[in-house]
Formats: sequence, C-alpha cells, structure tokens
Amino acid sequence: MNRLQPQTKTARTCWKRRGIYSCLVLTLLAASCRPKESSSKAEILFQQRSRAKIQTLDPAQIGDVPTDEVSREFFETLYYYHYLKRPYQLVPQLAAQMPEISEDGCTYTIRIRPDVYFHDAPCFPGGKGRNVTAEDFIYAWKRIADVKTASKNWWIFDGRIVGLNEFREYTKTCEKGRVDYSRLVEGLEALEPHLLRIRLIRPWPQLIFWLAHVPTAPMAREAVEYYGDEIRNHAVGTGPFVLKKWVKGSYIEAVRNPSYRPDFYPTEGMPEDAEQGLLADAGLPVPFIDRIIWRIIEEDQPRWLMFMRGRIDINSIPKDNFGQAVAFGKTLTEDMKKKGIRLQTYIEPNVFYVSFNMSDPVLGPNKPLRLAINYAIDREKFIELLMNGRGIVAHGFISPAMEDYDPNIVQVSRSVFDLEKARTWLREAERIHGGPIPRLRLAVGGTDTTYRQIAQYFQRNIQEIGLQVQIEVFDWPTFLEKMRTNQLQLIGGTGWMADYPDTESFLQVFYGPNAPWPNSSNYSSPEFDRLYEQIRVLPPSPERTRLYRQAERLVIEDMPVAFVYHRIGYILYHDWVGNFKPNAYKAECMGGGFAKYYRIDPDKRRAYWKQYE
Amino acid sequence: MTVYIIRRLLYTVPIVVGVLLLTFFLFSVVGGDISQQIAGKNADAETIAEIRHEYGFDKPLFWSLDSQFIDHFRKALTFNFGRALDREKISDKILRGVGPSLSLTVPMFLGTLVLSISLALMVAFVRGSWLDVAAVVLCVAGMSIPYLSFIIYGQYIFAYKLGMFPIMYMPEESLLTSLALPVLIGIAAGLGGNLRFYRTIVLDEMRSDYVRTAFAKGLSTSKVLFKHVLKNALIPIITSVVLSIPYLFLGSLLLERFFGIPGLGSLMIEAIASRDFFIINAMTFIFSLLIVVFTLLTDICYAWADPRIKLE
Repeated sequence: MNRLQPQTKTARTCWKRRGIYSCLVLTLLAASCRPKESSSKAEILFQQRSRAKIQTLDPAQIGDVPTDEVSREFFETLYYYHYLKRPYQLVPQLAAQMPEISEDGCTYTIRIRPDVYFHDAPCFPGGKGRNVTAEDFIYAWKRIADVKTASKNWWIFDGRIVGLNEFREYTKTCEKGRVDYSRLVEGLEALEPHLLRIRLIRPWPQLIFWLAHVPTAPMAREAVEYYGDEIRNHAVGTGPFVLKKWVKGSYIEAVRNPSYRPDFYPTEGMPEDAEQGLLADAGLPVPFIDRIIWRIIEEDQPRWLMFMRGRIDINSIPKDNFGQAVAFGKTLTEDMKKKGIRLQTYIEPNVFYVSFNMSDPVLGPNKPLRLAINYAIDREKFIELLMNGRGIVAHGFISPAMEDYDPNIVQVSRSVFDLEKARTWLREAERIHGGPIPRLRLAVGGTDTTYRQIAQYFQRNIQEIGLQVQIEVFDWPTFLEKMRTNQLQLIGGTGWMADYPDTESFLQVFYGPNAPWPNSSNYSSPEFDRLYEQIRVLPPSPERTRLYRQAERLVIEDMPVAFVYHRIGYILYHDWVGNFKPNAYKAECMGGGFAKYYRIDPDKRRAYWKQYE
Repeated sequence: MTVYIIRRLLYTVPIVVGVLLLTFFLFSVVGGDISQQIAGKNADAETIAEIRHEYGFDKPLFWSLDSQFIDHFRKALTFNFGRALDREKISDKILRGVGPSLSLTVPMFLGTLVLSISLALMVAFVRGSWLDVAAVVLCVAGMSIPYLSFIIYGQYIFAYKLGMFPIMYMPEESLLTSLALPVLIGIAAGLGGNLRFYRTIVLDEMRSDYVRTAFAKGLSTSKVLFKHVLKNALIPIITSVVLSIPYLFLGSLLLERFFGIPGLGSLMIEAIASRDFFIINAMTFIFSLLIVVFTLLTDICYAWADPRIKLE
C-alpha cells in the first residue's frame, strides 16, 4: 500500500466514529424536516397553485391570466358567470339585477346591491370597510382612463363611453397625483348612491362581458390615496376572501372575509349537475372554506409532485406526466383512480393556427403558397404528438365552445392534410412567384422545448412538399417587438383565447385596423372589416350568428392563417374537493372567483396524507 | 497595509465607472426603449408615452444634465435603481431576495467547504487506498452528472418518495425545514469538484518534508492535518473560497426555480426571460462591486494566512 504515513488503528477508529456521528446528525436533520400539517383540524384550507408569479393586485394593471384568476377572489365585478349553467351565462354579482338597456343600446342603467362593503383596511375610518357605491365604479374607470395611471386596460374603454376620452385628454395636462377625479364624465353618472348610468358613444353589446372583467371592479378612492403606488400590493376589494400574506414570487394566502355579505350557492344548474352532486349545497351560505394558499410553482415537476402528495388540491397535467395520469388520452389511469383523483375535460374557447404575414411580399400576394402550406400541415398528428391528444382539429376560428359554432363548417374547411393537393398548389405558387419560393422563416414566441418542438414539427411538414423553412425562436417580448415591426413571416403555434363568451372576441383577430396586434397576420379585407363593424354593435340574435359564420367563411377563403386546433382542457382534482366545475374562461382553475363554492373534506385529505406521505 | 487598501479602493473607481459604462451601453443604447413592452400588448400610444416619461426613455441619451447617462450613474451610485417592469421597486425586490438566497447558498457553501476539505484531508491521508480510489471515482462521477439531475432526482426521491423533506420551499414552515433538501442537494452536487480540487492541494502539501518531520516527531494525525497541512494549503483555498462569496449573492438559479425559493437566482431568471433590463442592470452593478470588494479581501487574507506576503 503506497501511503505517505502509516495509519494507526486509533486514527481509523476516530474517522469511523466521526462518520457515524455525521450520519446520525443527517438522520436527525431529515426527521426534523418532515413537513408538518399546514392547517389546524377546525380550519378548512384550500391549497392552490400558480404556474407564474402574481404581478400586481391593482385591478387597473391586471393583464395576465394567473393574476386575474387569483385577484378574482379579492375583487368582484358588477356581473359574473353563473357557476353551473352552460352555455356561460352572466348573472348579477355586485349589481342588484341585470342592466336596463335603452332601445338604442347606448344607455345602461345598473342598480348596485346596497349590502356590499370593501374589505376592512387602515385606509377607512376605524379600519372598517365602507359601503360600495356607484361612485366607486366611476372612480375605478376614471383611474384607468387617467394617463398617469398608465393602465394596461385602457383599451377596453377607449372610444366607448361618452366623455371618458375627453377626461383622458384632461389628465394629460395634469401632474401625477393632481388629477381631479370629481371632474364630470358625461357618460358615467351616479344617479343615486346605488344607481349607475353608463352612456355609450355607440352600441357596445360586449360591455356586459367587460363588466365581469376584474379591471372594472370598484376601487375605494381612500385606498388608492392611502397606499399610493403601493396599492399594487394591497387588495382592497369586496370579495369573499381578504389578502392575509403575500410572499412575492412564492406564496399568497387569503382568509375568509369576516364582513362578506350574505351569499349563497346556486340553486339551479344543468341537468347533469344534480347527478354529479353539484346541487347538493344549493341555497347554502358560502364560502365553505376558510383559507386559500396559492403556491407559485413555475416548474412542472414540483407542481406535479405537490399534487400527487396531496399538497395541491387541483392541477393541470404537465405534458411529461400525461401518460401517467391519463390512459389512451381519455380516462384516468388505474393508479390515479385508486388515489381518488378525478378528471374533468372541457373544450376551451380558443383557436391555434399558423399565421401568414399578409404584408410579406412572398406570402401576401400568393394565396396558392398559403394553400400549399395549409394542406401540408398534418393536424391530427400534431394533436397526437405534441398535445397528447388534448385538442380537436380547427376548421375555422369559432371554437366549438361558443354558441355560434357552425356545425357545418367542416364542409368548407381547408384543415385537411393532403400532400398531393399541397404540391399542386405549390406549383401554382411558384408560377405566380416567377420561380422557386425562397427559404421561408417560421417564428415562435417562446424559447422552451415545447415551442421548439412546435416549430420543428411545422418545419418538417412544410419541407415535406419541397419548401425550405428556417426556424426563428424568440422570447415573448422580442417576438412581440418583431411582430409590431412587421419582421415576421410565418408564425407557428400562435392563437387566440376568447376573453368572453361572444364570438366577437375572435373577430378582433382579423379586423384590419387591429394589425399588427391582435391581427398578427396583418389581414386586411374591406369586406371582413365592413362585416365586423356591422356585427360588433349587434345584440345577440340569429342574424348576428349568421353574420359571424359568414365572416368565418371569408377568413377560411382568404387564408390569412392555417387553422390547426382548438385545445381541450384537462384538469385533475382530488376527491376531497367538492362542488368542482371548471369554467373554460378561467381555464387555469386557480379560483377565478369560484373558490367560495368549493367544499373541502379535510378528513379525506388527512387520510390521503397519512397514506401517501 | 492601510496604504495598500486605500490604493486598491481607489482602483475600484475606474472599475466601477467601466462597469457602469458597459451596462449603460448594453442596456440603454443597445437594449433601447422597452416602454412598449412595459405597457402591455394592447397599450395605446399615450400610455406608452406616459411610460416612456415615467422610466426616463424620453430623456436624451447623453448630452444633457438630465440625460439617461447621468441618470444611470446617479441611480447606481445611490443604490436607487428605480422600478422594474412590473412597477415594483428594484431595491425592494433585491432586499427581499437576499435573505432566501443567502439562507440557501451560505449553508450550501459552508457545508460543501467543510465537507470537501475534511474529506480531502481524509482521502489524501489514505492516498492510494481503496477509499481514495473510490473517492476519486465518485468525484468524477459527481462532476459528470448534470446539476439538474441532482435536483430532479433529489427532489423526487428524498422529498416525494421517501417524504423526508418538503417538496418545495414553504414560507409558513421554518427555514431549516424548507431549505434542508435544496442545501443538501447543492452540497452533494458541488462536492465532487471541490473534493478533487482540495485533495490535489492537500496532496501537494502532504509530500512536503515538514509533514514527514511532524509525524516523525510523534504529532497526532489530526494535529498534523489540521494545524500544519491545512494552514500551509490555505493560500489556494482562500483564493477559491473568498472569490466564491460574491456568487452566493446571486443565489442558485436552478435550485431556487425547482424549490420555489423566492431568491435572487429566481429574480435573475425572471428578469432575463422578461427582458427586464432594469433588474439585470442593478444586479450586474451590485455583483461587480462585490467582486471588487472580495478580490481586495482575498489579498488581505493572503497576508494574514502567510506572513511572508507583504501588501505594499
């Protein structure tokens, strides 16, 4: 043995002893680190998750899905979606009844519930939340109009309400914090403390949906003045839960609002709701839970492990765990069933497509080229391979989740994989172009593996017919910038999620003046634009549905995009979560204002913890 | 030594100015105006103009007392870095992230250091034995396994399968509970490289005559190893250790991400993904300052560890 110094037996024993001590210390450390039960037996905790950080709790600045869904538990709006009824139906939330709408569709008179109070907060006298009045809505909307607020949501109101744009002009002349909010806006009046009148410049049938959108929630002026810029960290709303703790980037905790008005579980729903036990709590006071915790978990693995451990009650399925959760793309695996996990699926109100930049000199004037690319896309395979089967082929922009969906759309659909047809159109495209088509550029707006795989898939599809495609992978901000400056050619895997259950939301994507965003294809059709301008002021009617479908066929004919799929939402939840019914417009199922209806069986959960921890 | 320290502190001035020039060029001149990005995808021209004003993008780049260039220097030198893209104060974000990051990286660093030096002394002592060979093989294996694999398997096996630790950071639990697993994973992942490095250093010392003499004089093994060998091996150890300290402030990007630890590593990843140049700029400046300070500290430590070194 080649050693520098001979070892003595004592030295060896000493090292051994130290090793044993170290192992003991590590074992003790591990024992002390076992997670404790995070709620007392009496308290009912709902454990949620978010896949992205919560940005702000100022409704004027809320613009992303996770923040919107979490904030809905603190803020309420005049109207909101019925928890159980489908198709989606708006019902009064802070309003006492549905609005009275004038015959010309330009005046909305809304009575507000008299029993609504803001959360208790130090900005109010004695710290006790005060009664909500019509003025609080007017203040919130003026604040969004105030150019100094730099709200992300001004576009909702821009050019809609009489006098609000003038108010915005006025705010440009003021110093920050010096805006006179008592200045009258003709179209926003508090006729009585609890009676609000909104006057519109022209009919806006979608207003009712925006009145269910969190940026239109009432704001207490005292709160904004008290907290200043820090209002983003303080949720002074009217919702069933109040913010208790926010560890930025990690954790949000809400507790039951002790002064929440009397509110009850819905007494009506769909016929199948009764069978599924969703009406068992009909008429009972809500909320049923005491505390909600949202953990911010950006990575799929820890989110999945937390769910499987029972430390998250509801979760979507990460793509890498899909096979573990769902068998043959349809039902839960035996292992999941054994654990008492349940699955709900629903068609989401969205559409995804490959977008052609119509102002590009190669793609824009060459419809046969667009047709060739369209027929080269194998959608069925895409859904199977990249979506784990969680989608259906899109034939047009109207999602089957919408009431206006055209069941006959397949007859005019071009969403067909036909390489022969694609090659024929390509020959015609080359003739128009005057020679071989130059290498095309296909951009995706994300840098993670999924986006790269999407880009590679479409690249392979398009190259199959003899075209050359170069992939461009951009992070989202760069992608937006490139889109705005018209530097993109083909865009892969882009799409649109409807903001509300009205097909009008999809039409915005193809309206000429909306280029380059949200009209990312820079599509410009006078006929479509005329149709859109006609439709957008129409109230729901069979005539409007006919026009929506006409507009959809026009887009299919002009082919500014190649429609690919509508996504199907898959959501898992543990069997201790009762009354769970997903809402496709709150697809993350992080609460979205519905947590007050959920029931949690803590004993069942505790038993699960015992068995699986 | 005082003169040396003052002179070295004065050297920091051109370094800091250089860093500020570089960051200004990268983030303000090349990066450009990102007010559109801050305003959101649906923003109108007026909102964008207001944001340009709020963030100072409407100021001239150079030739004015109120230029973006002067503003950049003023913000850095007063440590008032302004607001991030999400309108939160950057200083608040950084201060909030320092605690969790250091709670993770300091024990990880100390644990790795103590363990790797102790094990290095041990395996160097039994050089050539099966224990030494096994240690070297394990070190090479540990260095070959990607850091991400340590995290993914560590989290899956010790937290999920064995249930010994929480799966992720729980703010409502004690720090010890929440951070024990990421710290242990960090130590395990860093042990291979460090152990090999320190083993080489210790081996160099063990070959020296004074070690043989010490043993010949009958000194105990621990006395020789810890009092003589370790002290003489201190110079390369100090270089490696002190210069590692600034990196502790950057947190651990992957560990923080997988364990949901709201530290500075997480903050940096988020800033890079959302192109938040304000945060990247602030972090770059702070990091460069730390590097300067700790390089100076390394020199001072040299003089303390080895009396032959004089700082003049």
